[in-house]
Amino acid sequence: MKYLDLAMNAASSLGAEYADIRIQKTTDQVIYLQNLSLKHTNTEVVHGYGIRVFKDGAWGFAHSNVFSDEALLATVQKAVDIAALSASVNKHKKLRLAPERSYIATYKTPVEIDSIEVPLQEKVELMMEVNRTMMAYEGIKQAVFYLVIHKDEKLFASTLGTRLDINTQFIDPMIIATANYEGDSQSRTFDEGGKAVGWEWILSLDLIEKAKQIAEEALIKVKADVLGPESRRSLILDPNHLGLTMHESVGHPTELDRVLGWEADYAGISFATPEKLKNYRYGSEIVNFMGDNTLCEGLATHGFDDDGVPGQKWHIIKDGILNEYGSTRDTAMEIGLDYSRGCNRATYYFDQPINRIPNLYLMPGTKPLTPGELIADTEDGVYIQGRGSFSIDQHRVNFQFGGDFFWEIKNGKLFRPLKKVIYKSCNPEFWNSCDAIADERFWRPFGVVNCGKGQPSQSARMTHGSAPARFRNIRVGGSQ
Amino acid sequence: MNIERIAQYIKQHVTADDYTLSVSNWDSHETRFAQNSITQHIAGPKLDITLHVSYGSKSGSCTVNQDDDTTLAFLLKTAEDIAKIAPEDPEFMPSATAVALPEVDNCDAETRSLSPKQMVEIVQKAIDKAKAMDATVSGMTEKHYGESYLLTKNGFVGNNRRTEFGHSMTLKKGTVETKVDYNAKRFAPFNLDKDFARLAAQATALEGMQSFEPEKIAVILRPGALQELMWFMGWMMNRRQSDEGFTPFTDQLGKPFFGDKFSWYSTLLRPELSSTPYSFEGYASVEIPWVENGVLKTMPTNRYWAQKVGSTPSSTYNMYIPGGTATEEEMMQLVPRGLIINRFWYIRTVDAKKGELTGMTRDGVLYFEDGKVKNAINNLRFNEIPHAATRRILALGANELASSHALLPTMLIDGFNFVDKTTF
Repeated sequence: MKYLDLAMNAASSLGAEYADIRIQKTTDQVIYLQNLSLKHTNTEVVHGYGIRVFKDGAWGFAHSNVFSDEALLATVQKAVDIAALSASVNKHKKLRLAPERSYIATYKTPVEIDSIEVPLQEKVELMMEVNRTMMAYEGIKQAVFYLVIHKDEKLFASTLGTRLDINTQFIDPMIIATANYEGDSQSRTFDEGGKAVGWEWILSLDLIEKAKQIAEEALIKVKADVLGPESRRSLILDPNHLGLTMHESVGHPTELDRVLGWEADYAGISFATPEKLKNYRYGSEIVNFMGDNTLCEGLATHGFDDDGVPGQKWHIIKDGILNEYGSTRDTAMEIGLDYSRGCNRATYYFDQPINRIPNLYLMPGTKPLTPGELIADTEDGVYIQGRGSFSIDQHRVNFQFGGDFFWEIKNGKLFRPLKKVIYKSCNPEFWNSCDAIADERFWRPFGVVNCGKGQPSQSARMTHGSAPARFRNIRVGGSQ
Repeated sequence: MNIERIAQYIKQHVTADDYTLSVSNWDSHETRFAQNSITQHIAGPKLDITLHVSYGSKSGSCTVNQDDDTTLAFLLKTAEDIAKIAPEDPEFMPSATAVALPEVDNCDAETRSLSPKQMVEIVQKAIDKAKAMDATVSGMTEKHYGESYLLTKNGFVGNNRRTEFGHSMTLKKGTVETKVDYNAKRFAPFNLDKDFARLAAQATALEGMQSFEPEKIAVILRPGALQELMWFMGWMMNRRQSDEGFTPFTDQLGKPFFGDKFSWYSTLLRPELSSTPYSFEGYASVEIPWVENGVLKTMPTNRYWAQKVGSTPSSTYNMYIPGGTATEEEMMQLVPRGLIINRFWYIRTVDAKKGELTGMTRDGVLYFEDGKVKNAINNLRFNEIPHAATRRILALGANELASSHALLPTMLIDGFNFVDKTTF
């Protein structure tokens, strides 16, 4: 496309030390069905370009939705001018960019059936049937089906000579059943958090059966007991619960921009500071976390990040020790690294990319272990499925999590269903209390498509994953 | 962007029975700084054109961000194609009709004309001040100008122009972190020297932190902390959700469900607050007492549910909680001991039916005893039910602008439920 060369030539002639342009067209289809009423059926197309200029140790970023030579050159000029203003402030503390080579490449999310192209009627008919299935249960007062399909078509060029053509997409179905009983109201949700796949995934899910399951579990949950006062117990956490726990307590603290204090004013900083690298016991010896932007079906698998750095796989925590961060070209140099781990991502064309959590997952246990054996080996505990309330402090140390469905474990058996369970813990206590992880047969991914961060706020996506894991001696109890 | 041209195009080419056209156009400049240097610097416009159409009770919508004829044709065709194959909606509502709108003044010429150079000078000055006290500062300076329009087939026409200026600063000195934030529709009242002096004073007060165990204790919530808590409570106050039994406000309309010292309005009468002349559903903004002297008067209600239950549609367009005259010093005399909370952070729902929330303190907690501040303490986690907490309000301070949409007092609440602590 002519705009790529035009922008890069203009930026270079205006004195940019580095510049890139990202032409991005984002298509979102959102369908929200509640109690057989279509509340929202919208297709949104957001198309434009963002131009980033690095000059004298500072960034300038300008964006536009107007595709003409004149508008593009004006946007380049604006980015250069802003970079110069930034540089006037940064003259005593210049940013630097980690070295990177040029690439000419394409990447496309492998899909069998493009979800956007599936006729709307087919989608709505499936959603209505799922809705009807849930509403057929007496006691289910609200049935929701929320479907998001997202597609990004990006062209990227940089003054390094890189030219990228990247097409990614994901789909995220979520169904919720809410039951009321004797003054209480409880919901149960089917939510895998989204996957970078096509409509074939939806066809494989058997959502009618899922709808029956969550409706029945909502009815069990609303009548379930509340756990008594807080006490120290074992927790067995399902992958679709643990995904969010690792997101908050490992993913965010190991983003290098937070470590450096670049999010101090808003999203917060991190306790996992650079002097702890290679020596800090973040978790027990069986705790291994991988950053992996090559993960098949991963939401952060884009081929390359928005610095033009290829996707990589690396240990973030190795044998329980803090090993490395997720980094970008501008954050890496701040701790003396001469390479980036390729974690710089923007959401829309008008967003300046920022340091993001990669696909991040807990490696499965290396010895054969089933979830059933894990439960059978637990005397007093709670098994948690699905995500619920979650809150963590701005240093990413102290946290409190709820869940979506709970079973009390007594003497190695699922004893009774529970509701309103919360647990409290902190880093590094929590991950050091992990004493068993089921093996790779039970490893499952869990996507996050709404990770809010940055000013102005951006919503990013990434995939987590684990096998069911056990945590000993955690403070667990019923809410107030 | 030419709204008349966009509207004319839709009017000429639409085949649907009904439509609502919504257009917003923003121009923003955002300078983000951290640890005494600029890390991000962003400028540019954003356009958003949404068309909602219906054939009978079958609806669809589309959103685009360009206004050329090709894109508008795509917008119209996509919305109409969706509507044609959508099922009949049992809760369908026709588009809004013409209505007289209140005049609001949300736009300020001086704020709109702030230059990038002026904004960077503000950042430079903040950094210089931080360096002078051997500290680092992080934050964002931002300026926005926006225009929005809402037009319907049935004759509703509304428009709103808005400016906003913001400057936030988080100061870090040693282990002390604290924040001061300005966010308003006008730049003129902003005073960096005053804000930084407040920031520095907060930082000094937070030196020498001592460990404090969680307990139920009186709190003085500063407006920034109260704002975080009240927005979350406000999101649970939904008429339909409550009528259907999903919130703590079920069957509480007209009853003294809150403490009698607590009132909450959305208002057009406070000129310092941003507001809007109309809602996105196309009805005029009016004065709304959500809670008055503890009595739950009404809750946000969409047009469909309002018609069904014989109420008036309403939505929260800003937050005004009337204050009192008590100073922090006077509040400290009213209880034997307590905490002063600067801000809350990461609030989430624990139990939606009970209205229970959790969250952390952030950016400074002070312990007071016998009417005087004794020392700074570590951050704490709370699990609390805000509407129940309003029944324990002991005193209210003067109103302050917590953000462009929130005018709030300092509030003294007894027995706030803290359940955990951090080490910092």
